[in-house]
Amino acid sequence: MPNSNGRALICGGSRTPFVRAFAEYVEIDTIALAAMAVRGTLERSRVPWDAVDAVVWGGVILPPTSPNVGRELVLDLKLPSRVEARTVTRACASGLQAITDAVAAVERGDADVVIAGGSDSTSNAPIPMPESFIRKVGPVVMGRKSGFTDYLGLLARLSPTRDLLPRQPRVAERSTGELMGEAAESMAKRHQISREAQDAWTVRSHQRAEAAWTSGRFADEVVPVKLPDGQVLARDTLVRADTDMEKLAKLRPVFSKDGTLTAANSTALTDGAGAVIVASERAAERLGLTPLACLRSSAYIGVDPADQLLIGPALAMPRALARAGLSLEEVDLVDLHEAFAAVVLVVRAVLENDAFARERLGMDRAPGHIADEKLNVHGGSVALGHPFGATGARMVLTMANELHRTGKSTALLGICAAGGLGAAAVLGRV
Amino acid sequence: MSDRLLALSSNSTARSLAKSLGVPLPPRLERDTGPWRDLPLAGRRIVVWTGEGAGSTALSAALAESLPRLGGDVAVAAGEVAAFEAAGQAWARPPRPLAENERPAALVFDASGITDVAALQQLWSALSPQVRGLLASGRVLVLSRPPRGLPLRAAAAQRSLEGFVRSLAKELGRTGATAQLVEVPHGAEDRIGAVLAFLLSPRSTYVSGQAWRISTLLPAAFTPSRPLDGRRALVTGAARGIGAATARALAREGARVIVHDHPGAEAEAREVAAELHGDVLLADLGDEEGLQRLVGDPRLEALDVLVQNAGITRDRTLARMSAEEWDLLMRVNLEAPLRLAETLGERLRSGGAMVCLSSIGGIAGNMGQTNYAASKAGIIGMVESAAEGYASRGVAVSAIAPGFIETRMSAAIPFATREVARRIANLSQGGLPEDVAEVVTFLASPSGRALSGSVLRVCGGNLIGA
Repeated sequence: MPNSNGRALICGGSRTPFVRAFAEYVEIDTIALAAMAVRGTLERSRVPWDAVDAVVWGGVILPPTSPNVGRELVLDLKLPSRVEARTVTRACASGLQAITDAVAAVERGDADVVIAGGSDSTSNAPIPMPESFIRKVGPVVMGRKSGFTDYLGLLARLSPTRDLLPRQPRVAERSTGELMGEAAESMAKRHQISREAQDAWTVRSHQRAEAAWTSGRFADEVVPVKLPDGQVLARDTLVRADTDMEKLAKLRPVFSKDGTLTAANSTALTDGAGAVIVASERAAERLGLTPLACLRSSAYIGVDPADQLLIGPALAMPRALARAGLSLEEVDLVDLHEAFAAVVLVVRAVLENDAFARERLGMDRAPGHIADEKLNVHGGSVALGHPFGATGARMVLTMANELHRTGKSTALLGICAAGGLGAAAVLGRV
Repeated sequence: MSDRLLALSSNSTARSLAKSLGVPLPPRLERDTGPWRDLPLAGRRIVVWTGEGAGSTALSAALAESLPRLGGDVAVAAGEVAAFEAAGQAWARPPRPLAENERPAALVFDASGITDVAALQQLWSALSPQVRGLLASGRVLVLSRPPRGLPLRAAAAQRSLEGFVRSLAKELGRTGATAQLVEVPHGAEDRIGAVLAFLLSPRSTYVSGQAWRISTLLPAAFTPSRPLDGRRALVTGAARGIGAATARALAREGARVIVHDHPGAEAEAREVAAELHGDVLLADLGDEEGLQRLVGDPRLEALDVLVQNAGITRDRTLARMSAEEWDLLMRVNLEAPLRLAETLGERLRSGGAMVCLSSIGGIAGNMGQTNYAASKAGIIGMVESAAEGYASRGVAVSAIAPGFIETRMSAAIPFATREVARRIANLSQGGLPEDVAEVVTFLASPSGRALSGSVLRVCGGNLIGA
């Protein structure tokens, strides 16, 4: 049925500073981070709390006992109880997923004002006990008839090293067992992306992020966070203005002995949250909000994780462009998630490749070259960090603000994600 | 029934003991019986020699285009590197040379350009240094052109490739590796990828020393996953053995399977059908009433895949054979398949396929099997006759001739004969029903249409036969 909602508009948002895992945010879990980003978003956009219909939240490491982070943040913030919420997960594209879901809900007429975003706290990832521990302990502790001798027997059977030591958490693919860094390493090798090119991209990312802080550009979208010790954190902690090629060259490869990926040209484990307001045209007008951008199209796609795990954006971005009726050249800005500097360079290279376009995209010619001045204008995840669920929201927020601020008309987003997923979206200025 | 020697070979102590005593043990064969996937050749190192001359350009282009797309990681030993470089870009799989001590999974030699005896020497110079390095269960493929119609010397050169491959297959068998000839007529180059996806993968396990003659009858294309999605299939004699394995493989790739067998096998047929969420059809193909019931079954009105597998043996030397033994076998093994072809086969939907089970006995003959061999050779005649007419309706038809397969039928063979039958195969062991089922599934799929009209042996390179 047609509805009078019209387009969904992105009307501002905010994010917390992004912080290296196991540092300043170690006592702040993903729900608390999410609540801070949402509170900041509501306050800065001046949306009356009563106008909010729903929350769509993205997250990757969800708290096992309260996985619906969206609902928990509603309750923690004391938003009206009727504000319904769901939590979505699509690996590193979860934040973007939340926003495309919110846009769909508004344009379908299901809601007028939706808060969408995402968060993750790697510092608070539950560390699972070894399965052998659970299998031995479970039946005794949960069993109704266990007696003293059962417990005694259990103690005798537990091996301190094999059963009790928690395993190191790894960002590994379930289907292949490959670490994400190993996958990126093999892509860099197959596409002949040099260490120098990756390091140069890393320096660029840090310089641009630093510039965005210096110019006050990021201060507009980041809400300061009060830490448990009373101090206030207002800036991302991973951005390093003093990074240069010489320093980066000293780092050793981390995923393979003769590899090219280092701790610097890969993203660090990060904690953080980001959110935007998605409102119908009618609601935006009624509430006097400032529309920044609309979602002109989006596209998600899967690839074989055993082949090129992180190539997804190169397939998803041309789809999103086609759905928006745009060519790559016509787009004013491109924001590519920097899971690894190598991934950005690979995606950029294959989008210029005619053979790739013919075989993989069904196009006669390659989408083309992404000009340097268009791409990741304020840096990316290599410098800022990558709280899995928050990154998509950060990218939408930064690009929506950029369109509004510069008067440019379109921005293309691309995100690679675990499981061999690719995500893309086109934002348009309104 | 079980192959004790093969069981022994999986024990590492027994294996090394046997090796030191000089007793040959059959190799463990690599098998893939999981669902079809996007990249059937993922992670496989393939050394390629592309041919010379104008006739080979189309072939090397087809190889260059298909191998990286299927996941193959190519090393070009000689020939057209540029074609592979251009095509490999799309998949970030440009050709790269073998590293020192790196062992390839496959050797693919395009011999289609060889037109003279002297040039045949390239086979020796290319493959001789490489065959020893081939991985266990590796593959050697030689690509050729049909010799018929070629000038004297070219025809001789092309035909000689078949003899080369058959002998090499025997030499490689000890490691579980196989060798095949792939004959590509002009204009059929675009079907190579679909055939190589199967031949270079661990699904062609028990096929060795064969000539795969690609036909121009029907277009064919590789379908990455669930190639039979939405198709309706009938497998006759599917309560157990090859039929049951085939029903399972077809269902795994998406087909809705009707499991047929004679009423005496009802319990087993029901079990297979229940497992596959398929239907059961009970009919005795040995009598007219059963045959009529089968062809008149309303569930068979819309059918895509017909696998004619049901068959019996009534072994006896001709002098001692009774008329009943001759008659019953002919009714089940040849009259029934012909009737099914004339009725169900005639109305298979476009895009469908009929696959008929012949036997190596039908090609080479067998002591005590005049009736069986006659019926199975008859199946070949039927398939060859039907191919063109079926193609005009968009339907593929082919035959499979299994060698010694470990089934209840072969378990009834006397011990000594059975043991000989196993060991004389290149791979020195019997095949599994699953090995035949994978070939049937391939032939029933859009990929297998490239082989329409063919008779393929699934015999592990059995010594007996052409």
